[in-house]
Formats: sequence, structure tokens, C-alpha cells
Amino acid sequence: MNSIEVDHLTKKFGDFTAVNEISFQVKEGEIFGFLGANGAGKTTAIKMMSGLLQPTSGTAIVAGYDVVTQPKLIKRNIGYMSQRFSLYNDLTVFENMQLFGTIYKIPRKELKKRIMDSLAALDMTKQANLLVHSIPLGWKQKLAFATAILHKPKIVFLDEPTSGVDPIVRREFWNLIYETASTGVTILVTTHYMDEAEYCHRISIMADGNIRLLGTPEELKQQVGVNTINDVFVEYVKH
Amino acid sequence: MRTILILIKKEFLQVFRNPLLLSILIVAPMVQFMIFPFCADYEIKVLDIAFIDHDRSNISQEIIHSFDASDIFVTHGILSNKKEANEMMKHDKVDIIVEFPAHFERLLMNGSPTRIAITANAINTTKAGIGVGYTQEIIGGYMQEYMAQNMHYSGNEIPANLNLSHIYWYNEQMNYKNLIVPGILVILVTLIGCYVTALNLVREKEIGTIEQVNVTPIRRWQFLLGKMIPFWILGMAEFILGLVIMKLVFGITVQGSIPMLLGITAIYLFVMLGLGFFISSVSENQLQAMFIVLFLFIIFVLLSGLFTPTEGMPKWAHYINYLNPMSFYMEVIKKVVLKGSAFISVQKETLVLVGMAIIVNTGAILSYQEKSK
Repeated sequence: MNSIEVDHLTKKFGDFTAVNEISFQVKEGEIFGFLGANGAGKTTAIKMMSGLLQPTSGTAIVAGYDVVTQPKLIKRNIGYMSQRFSLYNDLTVFENMQLFGTIYKIPRKELKKRIMDSLAALDMTKQANLLVHSIPLGWKQKLAFATAILHKPKIVFLDEPTSGVDPIVRREFWNLIYETASTGVTILVTTHYMDEAEYCHRISIMADGNIRLLGTPEELKQQVGVNTINDVFVEYVKH
Repeated sequence: MRTILILIKKEFLQVFRNPLLLSILIVAPMVQFMIFPFCADYEIKVLDIAFIDHDRSNISQEIIHSFDASDIFVTHGILSNKKEANEMMKHDKVDIIVEFPAHFERLLMNGSPTRIAITANAINTTKAGIGVGYTQEIIGGYMQEYMAQNMHYSGNEIPANLNLSHIYWYNEQMNYKNLIVPGILVILVTLIGCYVTALNLVREKEIGTIEQVNVTPIRRWQFLLGKMIPFWILGMAEFILGLVIMKLVFGITVQGSIPMLLGITAIYLFVMLGLGFFISSVSENQLQAMFIVLFLFIIFVLLSGLFTPTEGMPKWAHYINYLNPMSFYMEVIKKVVLKGSAFISVQKETLVLVGMAIIVNTGAILSYQEKSK
């Protein structure tokens, strides 16, 4: 079953076409990589799929709901972690999770249990009452991810979740992604790290608002005739 | 409901963890309260005066001496000519120059027309106006006395316009603090309502937290209420604190009903909160928001009648003032705090504020929604 179905989705800002009639499907439980140079239109596409931005034309069905007519229902069923770290720095770890969990209407007792469980899984139980600005970036990113999946969404959008964090934390972060996907959650992730692209089940490469390539990492490498996704990317973004 | 409560809790946690914001909210306005009324004061305590006497008669000398008896005037002697006097005024040594014409006493005795020239430095118009008034009063008082005693004139023959006396209603001691202090209350409430809230929301935009909130199924009105209620509570607390300081430091008590005053303040705060949110949704960053608020704030204050009476303003300013929530609220404060007016005399202002609150907040919600498309 497909959890995301995008059909000729387009976004124009005035004369500028940020996303140009892209179409693709993502299966349930799949880790789908969204690659592209800066300004290729990845973030705009994600914003449309998560109900933050109205498309100019085309449709997208996310978790069974239409992004144009049912953005509220989509928001209830997705998790989102943006490019910028966007938890509140002046709240504690626990307060942040409590805030977002409450907004998603998770019952009080259940919420407390889920927060404690997810902090235990991240090995951050001791940090529960620390202000977020005092913890290191890598931990913040893991925390942001844990917060984004607290309400058990069907789909999680991750917009460059690992930019600026060290290789060890990146590895840990990808373990989290795998664990989450294994429970049937669909992951759509953008990244600039080509080694990370190799971890995805399927990837698409965007340039100038269009999807240029789409397939499993192996397929793409064969198609282009190179050995790494990095080479695939350089080859395609060059054109 | 739980959503709004957690948002309110979040806002309070953030306010109380931000020492800078806390000091902006509480300390800075209070300091302003303590300092501003003593500086922005139209009361004239010292007037420098000098004389030119072309007559050198008994009357002119006695009039000059009568200024010595006054607490307000500092006399700088008799100058020999106009040039010297002009020099002194140019260098701010004197505010008022009184010039007696030649043959002043003789003309006066004959009943011929004569006049004393009073020249005032009108760089500070308020000071000049009041200074001339005091000068006329002293000269007039002397003339009255002189005529009554020395010329055996009956009281009726003294020109009535020599007797200058003023009565200032509602502010009998001509104490400008009575007007300035309630005015500062208005400024405080406006600042909290508009400035702090506008900056707060724009800041969330800047650091990106608003995106995380926007992607949740939260409703716009929930989010806005979750922002408004905390700042509304802070604004009311600030207002009450202001009333207490007004009483303790300046001895000004609210003449009218305090619950009514609080009620109208609550409405006014909603107007300002809505305006703050509207500004924050049309600005990209805190700097822009700050400039817009400052721009509006200066217009609001200057037109509100805090520094200058609205009655003296040109017609177009009156029309602009119909859009100025601060001028309506200022009117309420003046009436309720100083005069003790009942609701009936402020109901027009209250209705206007209610209308403004509805319009501004609708605008805020609509403009905020538009942004997320």
C-alpha cells in the first residue's frame, strides 16, 4: 500500500517554478531519500506534502488524505522535523515533549509514559529536566526526532535531519530511522550526505524543481554506470 | 482547552526564564514611571526676568520691586538698552523682558494711553505663555493696588482685564503629574500589549519554532489565544502595579470605579494584542516589527492628548484620531482616574474600543492564516 502518492505536484512563486510537476509513490514502511542540490525544490515539496504550503497545481495524497482539501487530517497523521532545529531552547527536554504531545491530544498519563519511554530509548532520561539549549546539537536532533514521532504518526518527514552533526550521532540517528521504519512508519528524508543516501530503500534526485532520477541506490548506480551515489549525484546535478 | 492551557504554561515558562524580557516587562516600565513624570513636567518653577526702564519713575521702580517678592521670578536688574536685553535673551540668560516706555508714570496719571512691553523667549512656548501670564498678573496686581490706594479710585474704575486669575479644573494645583502619571499607565499597557507580543511572535518565526507548531493539527485561534492570554495577564498585572505606584509615589487615587477601569483596560489590551499579532504576521523579523510598532506608537502617543490637548489639533488630526485606540483609552483614563466619571460618560469610548478589538483581532487571525498558504 502506498502511503504517499504525488501526482504532477507543482509550486510556483510568481514566475519562479520551485517544484515542477513531480510524481512519485512511497510505500508504507519505506525509507525514501529525497536528494538534490540546494534550491532544487526539496523543502518546498516537503512543505506541500505536510500541509504547510498550498500547491499551485497537481495532487498529493498523504496517509490517505488530500493535501489540498484535508490538510488538518494530514497534520494529525504525520511527523515533521525541519531543517532548522525547531524545539524551544528555553524549555526543558520534558517540557518540549509535553507541549507537542499535548497539542497532538495524547492523554496525559499516556503522554508521560511515552515521553519517559522514548527518553530511555535515547538514553536521555537524565537530561529530561535540562533546558534544551544546554544540550549538544547531536542530542538535540535525536530529541527533535523523538518529539516528531511521539504521537505515532504514519509518515515522518525529515528535512536534512543530520546537517551539522558528527558521524557517530549520524549513525545513531540512522539507527533510529531504521527502528522507526521497521514498525511500519514511512520515512521521507532529505539529505546532503551521499553515504546516507545509500541507506535509503529508494531515492529520487531533484534538480531545478524536477525529479531527474528515481529508483533503488543499486538501480541508479547501474543506470548511470558509476560506483557510488555520490558519482550519480554529481553526474546528474551537473547537467 | 488542554491545548490552550499547555500553550499558556509554555509562554509563562519562557517569560520567567528570560531575564531580559522580564526586566523589559517589569523593571524598565517601572523605572520609566518613576523618572518620566519628573522630567516631562510643564510646571514652571523658575523664570528669569530683566527690565528696561525708560521712565525711572516711582511706579516703574515699584513694579520692578514687586517681582522680587515672587518665588518664581529671578530678577536680573535693570538693563540700559534694548540691545543688551536682546543679547541676554539670545544667550538664554532671561526668559522675560519688561520694558517701561518714557513718561510712563505721567501718561498713566493723565489717563493717556500707554503700555508696558512684555517680551518672552518663545523657544519654549509653554514656558513663554505661562511666563507672560505670571508677569501680567504681577503687574496687574500692583496696578490695582496702586490705583486703589494712591489715586482714590473706586474699584469699579479699574479695568477688569487687569485682574488676571486662573482656575484650573480637575488639576487645581496646576500639577502636571496628575496628567502625566495616568498617561504613563496608558503607555505601559500599550507597550506590553503591542510591542512585546509583536516581538514574541516574530521571534518564533525567526528561530523557526513556529514551523514546528504550524505542522501540528493545532488551530489558528488556539495558537493565538495561547499567545494572547499570557500577555493579557501580564498586561493587567502591569496595569495594577502601575495603579499601586501611582497611589504610593504620587498620591493619585482613582476617582472612579476601579473594576470598571480594569474592565475597559482589558478591552484596550485586546486591541493592542491583536495589533501586535497583526504586525508580527506582516513582518519578517524582529527589526521590521520594531520599526512598525515604533512608527505607530509615536503617532498614537502624539495624537492621544497625553502631551498636548486634542482640542488644539487641526481637523485632519481629529479624523486620524478616530482610528487611534490610544486616544479613546486616554480619554477613559482621564475621565475615570481624574474626574471619577461613571460608565455613562465613557460608554462611547468603551464601545469604540470593543469594535476595534473585534476588527483588529479578526484581521490578525486572517493575516496569520494567509501566511501559511
